[in-house]
Amino acid sequence: MTRDAVIEADVGVVGAGPGGMAAALRIASSGLSVVVLDEGARPGGQIFRQLPEGFAHASPPTEPPSHGAGHELLHALTGSKVSVESHATVWDARAPRGDDLGCLWFEQGVASRALRCKAIVLAPGAMDRCVPFPGWTLPGVITAGAAQVMVRGYGIKPGSRAVVAGSGPLLLPTVTALVSAGVKVVAALESAPRRAALRALPGVLRSGARLREAFFYARQLWRSGVSLQFSRAVFAVEGDGRVQRAVIGQLDREGNPIASTAKTVDADVVCTGFGLVPSIEIGQRLGCRATWNEARGGWHIEALDFGATNVDRVFAVGEIAGIGGSEVAIAEGRAAGELVCAQLQQRGALTHVRDRSRAVRAAADAMLRAFSVPRGVYSLVKDGTIVCRCEDVNAKAVRDASALHGDSLRAIKMGCRAGMGPCQGRICAPSVQAIASRGSTRAWDEPVVQIPLKPVRTSTILDAPKV
Amino acid sequence: MTESADVVVVGGGILGCSVALHVARALPKARILVLDRGPIAGATSGRCMGHLMVTPDTKEEYAFSQTSVRMWAGLQEEIGGFDYNPTGALYLADAPEDLELLPVLQKQFSDCGDTAAILDQKQLREIEPGLAHDLPGALFYQGDGVVLPMTACSAMLRLGQRHNARLETRPGTEVTGFDGIGSRMTAVRTKHGTITTGNVVIACGVWSPAVAKLAGIAALPIVPRAGNLAITAHHSTPIQTQLLEVSYIRFAHGAAKVDPWKTDEDQGGHAVNMQPQSAGGCLIGSTRQFRGFDTTLNRELLHRSLLRAQRYAPGLLGLPIVRTWVGLRPYSVDKHPFVGPWPQTDGLWICSGHEGLGISLSMISGQLIAAQMTGTPCAVDPTSWLPRRIL
Repeated sequence: MTRDAVIEADVGVVGAGPGGMAAALRIASSGLSVVVLDEGARPGGQIFRQLPEGFAHASPPTEPPSHGAGHELLHALTGSKVSVESHATVWDARAPRGDDLGCLWFEQGVASRALRCKAIVLAPGAMDRCVPFPGWTLPGVITAGAAQVMVRGYGIKPGSRAVVAGSGPLLLPTVTALVSAGVKVVAALESAPRRAALRALPGVLRSGARLREAFFYARQLWRSGVSLQFSRAVFAVEGDGRVQRAVIGQLDREGNPIASTAKTVDADVVCTGFGLVPSIEIGQRLGCRATWNEARGGWHIEALDFGATNVDRVFAVGEIAGIGGSEVAIAEGRAAGELVCAQLQQRGALTHVRDRSRAVRAAADAMLRAFSVPRGVYSLVKDGTIVCRCEDVNAKAVRDASALHGDSLRAIKMGCRAGMGPCQGRICAPSVQAIASRGSTRAWDEPVVQIPLKPVRTSTILDAPKV
Repeated sequence: MTESADVVVVGGGILGCSVALHVARALPKARILVLDRGPIAGATSGRCMGHLMVTPDTKEEYAFSQTSVRMWAGLQEEIGGFDYNPTGALYLADAPEDLELLPVLQKQFSDCGDTAAILDQKQLREIEPGLAHDLPGALFYQGDGVVLPMTACSAMLRLGQRHNARLETRPGTEVTGFDGIGSRMTAVRTKHGTITTGNVVIACGVWSPAVAKLAGIAALPIVPRAGNLAITAHHSTPIQTQLLEVSYIRFAHGAAKVDPWKTDEDQGGHAVNMQPQSAGGCLIGSTRQFRGFDTTLNRELLHRSLLRAQRYAPGLLGLPIVRTWVGLRPYSVDKHPFVGPWPQTDGLWICSGHEGLGISLSMISGQLIAAQMTGTPCAVDPTSWLPRRIL
């Protein structure tokens, strides 16, 4: 089957995770045409990731209650008129303007295609936030997100003895996923102090769903005999060519490691997760304003009610508008879908969906505020610790570059090439400036966006439909 | 805050860094400050190709460019760390009618006392198997090379600091004006305070006219000429030698056929220049367009330059592009850079306007400034580059 190079729809949605699915379903239900462009093989996003077509889990991993919403969305999607283009990498975008349609250029397999639409909903999700420490580049150190993808998305057991470390609510599902895959979790370490968990409580209590989720995880931990230890981190990972041991220990109030508490545990996999960083580049490319909020993962697209951005007919929902989790993404997706329909069908928007998205967002903010990455953890980094993996740049090179070229992200990049590789600084940017400024708490610089938004073949750029 | 320095270099690009290096060498006790409004190597020198290019158009140009490229080899020996790669350059003929250009260029090199080899189709493929099989031939010149310009800036500064511990950089320091007594430069005013100094070098690339105006130079004729660039991912270069279209010579070094001041009228041009990077990617240029200070990517021009590039290196089609961007070349309206003292103000120097050859010519340019400042011999006759010609 040959597919048209240029397709048209009333609405284009980027990302088939919870936010994108919720928005698309809402839009399709009012009779508008909607196409979702998604990088994955099947819809679901990172959180509701499905096994590849034709595969099933022999023994399904334990699922938290929130995944019920994922199954509902995926089920609704199959019965809907929403068209999902999988394996689609969006590499350039133009916002609708006046009577001119917006356009999303995407690579799909070897094809270079474009979607023209009257409105765009952005739900591209987020990336794991990595904090470097000695040994973090050894095979066997994976992000919390990767651990979940392996277990839930592919039925792969990442190791037999795991240390889970980092900060924030993502540690719990990581532990649960590993345990359900038969991995022995030898330590689960939260770098925030116990009082952070208490500070997060109000946000949890404000949401029935999140409270159910919390009870689920508490029960899972209790059953597996794993207890979450606060003010603790992985100081280093050691091993001959791969992870064999982890040095773990206690952190002081500022997050600095207390050397005297260090002890070594045997492990063959270390999962680290310091929260998520919103993927904002497509929003920036469309002209959406980015804003900084530590609790929301740093730079995110500023979204108003109903997910509206400063750019007419461009909407941002879920993690791109600030880390908030699947419940927030679904509520915001529905709200944005509602406003898109109202605008295109020239009627007023229903306000209850907006009120719901406001409430769940406020609850998520209240919870996530408790888990900011303590600056002290960057003091684990030694001179020789790699910071930018794409370009093999170590911490000393980052500091030297900062001293000579300046302390902005761009200056450091120019001085030592950190952030010049395939990930374009998406992974190392938060670390680079924290390390260069030795623990200052300032925001890292807003990333600069250039096309292609993700690497694509030269032929994709050359064959791009001219629209 | 007031401080003092013997020499203040305004502009932390490749030319400012080279000036700093050469002055630091010549004056190991002097206090030298390199100021930049943004980061060091943050503007054009961080957005350009790294071609070390010997241009044989005239004997004079050959002297400047060849001397400078030789000095780059010296910089590599002394400090390194900037991905120096003496790949040579292949000047490619596209079609049989281009073949007649090869002996013309070869003769230019031999008239300068240098050599370049004409390769037939078979020899070309032996040297560079990644090229299209139907290319009729090329000229290979061994003397060219590639560097990574931004880390070359670091290397120049670090080597300068070895010679002179009082060389410092001040990124994020914008110049707001200059003070003078009579026709003598006395101080630089910045957003962070005043620096008293007897010597100021303006090395601000496309922003030089604006800074020069603050120093009383009404109209330094330098205009931004934009170039689109693209780079492939690591470990994915189709070629190992630097490539140029043989027509590049006419295109890049002839005078612009459009009026640089009428930016609306320039549709832009392009000629292939491809550079293998030591990290394994391939830098693909280049386009030329006068359109003011606009640095938004021109997708149409990018398309044209990628199309030409894959004509020479078809393997490019399947390789991932990770980034595209625009840099602004400082185009000097009479095609010669401005390197030397400004005769109307004692202590005011200019080092700017090298268009697409700034990286290549930075070493000799820095040497010429330092030599003239200290009254020591210039490595080549600086006359045709002296700024006094516009008076």
